[in-house]
Amino acid sequence: MHMLSDDRSDIIVRARNIRLTLGSAQAPVEILKGLDLDIARGESVAVLGASGSGKSSLMAVLSGLEQASGGEVNVAGFDFGALDEDALAIARRGHVGIILQAFHLLPTMTALENVAVPLELAGHEQAFDRASKELAAVGLGHRLSHYPSQLSGGEQQRVAIARAMAPDPEIIFADEPTGNLDGKTSELISDLLLKRQKETEATLMLITHDRALAERCDRVIEIVDGRILNAQRG
Amino acid sequence: MRSVADMPRPSLSWKQSWHIARRDLHTRLIGLRLLFVCLFLGVAMLGAIGSLTFAVTNEISARGQTILGGDIQIEMSQREASSADKDLFSELGDLSETIRMRAMARRAVGTGDANGPNTVLTELKGVDNAYPLFGTLQLQDGTYVAPLADDAVIIGKALSERLSLNPGDRVFYGEAEFLIKDIIVDEPDRVGEGFTLGPVAIVSMEGLRRTGLIQPGSLFKSKYRIRLAPGEDAVALRKRIEAQYASSGWDINDRENAAPGTSRFLGRMGQFLSLIGLTALAVAGIGVNNGIKSYLSLRQRSIATFKILGATSADITRIYFLQIGFVSIIAITLGVLTGALTVPLILAVAGDVLPVRPGFALYPLPLITSMAYGALIAFIFAAPPLARAKRESGAALLRATTSAPLRRLDRQTLTRIGFAIFTLFALIVFGERNIIFSLWVIGAILAVLLLLLALGAATRWAAHKVPRPRHPLLRLALTNLYRPGAQTTALVVALGLALTLFVTLAGIQTSLSNEMKNRVPDRAPDLFVLDVPSYEGDRLRAVVNNEAADAELNIVPALRGTVVSYGGRRVTDREDIPGDAFLLRGERGVTYSATLPEGSELIKGEWWAADYAGPLLVSLDAEQAEVLNLDVGDMLTVSVLGREMQARIASLRRINWDTMGFNYVMVFSPSGLANAPHSLTATITLNGDNKGQVARSLLAGFPNVPVIETSEILNKVRSLLEQMSAAIVAAASITILAGIAVLIGAISASRQMRSYDSIILKTLGATRRQILVTQALEYGLIAAVLAIISLLLGMTAAWFVIIQVFEFGWAPDWGIVLATLLGGATITLGIGLVSSLSLMALRPAQALQRV
Repeated sequence: MHMLSDDRSDIIVRARNIRLTLGSAQAPVEILKGLDLDIARGESVAVLGASGSGKSSLMAVLSGLEQASGGEVNVAGFDFGALDEDALAIARRGHVGIILQAFHLLPTMTALENVAVPLELAGHEQAFDRASKELAAVGLGHRLSHYPSQLSGGEQQRVAIARAMAPDPEIIFADEPTGNLDGKTSELISDLLLKRQKETEATLMLITHDRALAERCDRVIEIVDGRILNAQRG
Repeated sequence: MRSVADMPRPSLSWKQSWHIARRDLHTRLIGLRLLFVCLFLGVAMLGAIGSLTFAVTNEISARGQTILGGDIQIEMSQREASSADKDLFSELGDLSETIRMRAMARRAVGTGDANGPNTVLTELKGVDNAYPLFGTLQLQDGTYVAPLADDAVIIGKALSERLSLNPGDRVFYGEAEFLIKDIIVDEPDRVGEGFTLGPVAIVSMEGLRRTGLIQPGSLFKSKYRIRLAPGEDAVALRKRIEAQYASSGWDINDRENAAPGTSRFLGRMGQFLSLIGLTALAVAGIGVNNGIKSYLSLRQRSIATFKILGATSADITRIYFLQIGFVSIIAITLGVLTGALTVPLILAVAGDVLPVRPGFALYPLPLITSMAYGALIAFIFAAPPLARAKRESGAALLRATTSAPLRRLDRQTLTRIGFAIFTLFALIVFGERNIIFSLWVIGAILAVLLLLLALGAATRWAAHKVPRPRHPLLRLALTNLYRPGAQTTALVVALGLALTLFVTLAGIQTSLSNEMKNRVPDRAPDLFVLDVPSYEGDRLRAVVNNEAADAELNIVPALRGTVVSYGGRRVTDREDIPGDAFLLRGERGVTYSATLPEGSELIKGEWWAADYAGPLLVSLDAEQAEVLNLDVGDMLTVSVLGREMQARIASLRRINWDTMGFNYVMVFSPSGLANAPHSLTATITLNGDNKGQVARSLLAGFPNVPVIETSEILNKVRSLLEQMSAAIVAAASITILAGIAVLIGAISASRQMRSYDSIILKTLGATRRQILVTQALEYGLIAAVLAIISLLLGMTAAWFVIIQVFEFGWAPDWGIVLATLLGGATITLGIGLVSSLSLMALRPAQALQRV
């Protein structure tokens, strides 16, 4: 078992013997091969691994975007294994924030509207006010009415960060948040992400190739071939 | 442990969904334009056809009094009403009498064009001073005011042109000479008079008697029009008269049914055009499906993003249902308004082709029906891609997949689609007047659609199985037909359906036209002679023999009769009259004969002896006997010249209508009718090219007798067919437009794939010309497949209609049919190539960075 937990009793992610098999019945591919992981509330965890190691799949399972083929997944008090796709979507509202490498903003909506969407889905009364504040917090208070096509890569990722954090989630999953950015912008985004994580006391799981970024987190986990190889303090 | 059920408001409300939908909808409707165009076209066409049919039939109903010439019309053939009957009619209201017959107009010597024809067949109409009771008779020099002098005639424009006659010229009818007073611009009861062979000429009643054409047995119709007091129920009165005078043999109409034949024809035409419109809508449905699939595929990442942010499948469904619904509502509304507003344009273009010219009005029922069809088609074809899209997974973004695997539809979606299809079906079947006809056409459309689906799939399969060509461009063109995402099947169905419809119409139209032009003249008599006095049979024979001794001359007695009773019950007491029992629709031609008439084959019973003098017998057409459930031995009662005559059915005949001669559904034994006043009609089939000479001799010998050249009738029929064809082809063109919209949509949907191919090819060294050739080969293959499929299906359908339904000869013009196909194939290829031109401009270096 590769489970590292510190002594904090408040565990926000508890995964036991996680298996994930994809592909067809004739040609199944086992991506995750029995993973155990605990993440404490407020902790920042970096996940390192080569391409195809299963780190994005791990994130998909823990964020409720993918159903595990086997094992137990408890996130923010929800038993993900017992929920169907729609229930997982509902569970994510207000509890899970996700930031992706390619930003994935809605192209037909402004920055403000993009950030407001998860708030509206979660039923927030003052969605646009809250969105406006969140964008100001990431330094884009002057870009509220801009469309994604009118923003630079770094600005788009900042909007994505604001969108993920606007509902005040308990845990944030970030998959290669700086993967599509140049060096200087990557650094800015990394700083911003970690700063906002500390400010909000959210838990952070960060997938990255960047070892330097990984070591800025509380803990670093390395995945090789669908298994956690080792875990160490960041 | 937390439960999702404890969380507030798991689904967005419709209002919230609309807020998000509106923001997500591109202002230029990119991705939904195909949906818009297809729905707009289909609904506009149905709206136009429905509104036009409604406008024309409503106008006929609204102008019933004018069209009929009265509130009630009592009609009889070969006789006038007795004084007692006329007194009875006068008691009912204001009475107007007219007599109408076919007669030859002869221009007086020294008038008209000496090089032109001397005579022409016309409809001669005698009117009394009360005519017209309703409406006005418009003349070139103003409005007609009674009385008309006994030596005056007012003539139709066509007559004026044919004989080059003008007001002030003189013309003969029978023994009387008339002075032309004016030219008719509009005859108020023209539509009510039904099908006519010649232009109209109007004289006074006394003028008509001066001609000497009204003789016992002459073929003329007397019409007694009555204007009732305001508020009186014409329908109820008509029924009372029918019941009270059932044995009189009168044909009675009221203003609610002023032109039954015309109304029936227009109704059928409108129904047929509507069903073509539904075909266009079916093609549009394919476009809708393609458009929405393409749109939702563009929205795949957005949908996955919504899911990541917490949207459920229900939220996704609502958001995109609202977007699709919004665009659909706009398309349907604009379509139906366009359809309604197109009606005045159609009326202007149609001119005198239509029997009436209604004013502009919006008719809610056909418009609402068109909107309902559009909404149902939109739902049926949009539901499947929407149902699949809502199951898009947020994880797809993490795996960077670009296309979701094809999933089976869930039960709820299938149920909803099934209900919509059922509703559409019910709307079509019960909204049309002839349910059986509608079911047949729907069945045919569905069968063709399924067949085309199978052929589309077969095309993909065949392209896959064919040995790979060596040439790389041809290989690429071939593999594009079956690669994942290829639109081959959709194109075969959409364009195939439209092109098949066109080929079918071309096959039917050209075959009928060739039949009229080539084969009918070969089989039909050269001349018809009508209304020969019954005592002039021998003289007629002598005149014909003198000019053409080898001519085939067939002389038959001609009377008019109405079936008033059969199978032991009176027709007026029956409520179960079959729709195709044309024998019961008013007066029919009847005859008597000692021998079996040519063109008839006895299939049951026996023919009476040549000298039979017993109780009246009748030989009936076998098809009508079957419709009326009559058999040999049953009794039939016919009213002839006001007398009811009961006859026993002695035999059933199969009539060979191909002879084009006088074929009578009812032929009586001579014993009952030989002494009744009647005239003779004759057909003359010549062996030489002496038709003109024979016709002149006949006119000289029988100046009062109409002599009709078959070519005149054929020209009139051909003209009618051409007008009908023009209307049908215009309607079918919308189907082609819808098919083109589908083609453009398919090209658009595959644009990314083609761009990718072009970039890679260019990177590997292909020239722009070579890339264009690849596209040309691919679209050329599709066009060739379409042409073959459409030719086979279309000509099979045309053959079936001509041979099995019309029972004519099969003689299509292959040149026109192939030209139609070539046109369709060229359009397909042309659009495909034009759309490929933009691929030429792609720069690999730039594009590869974005791929």
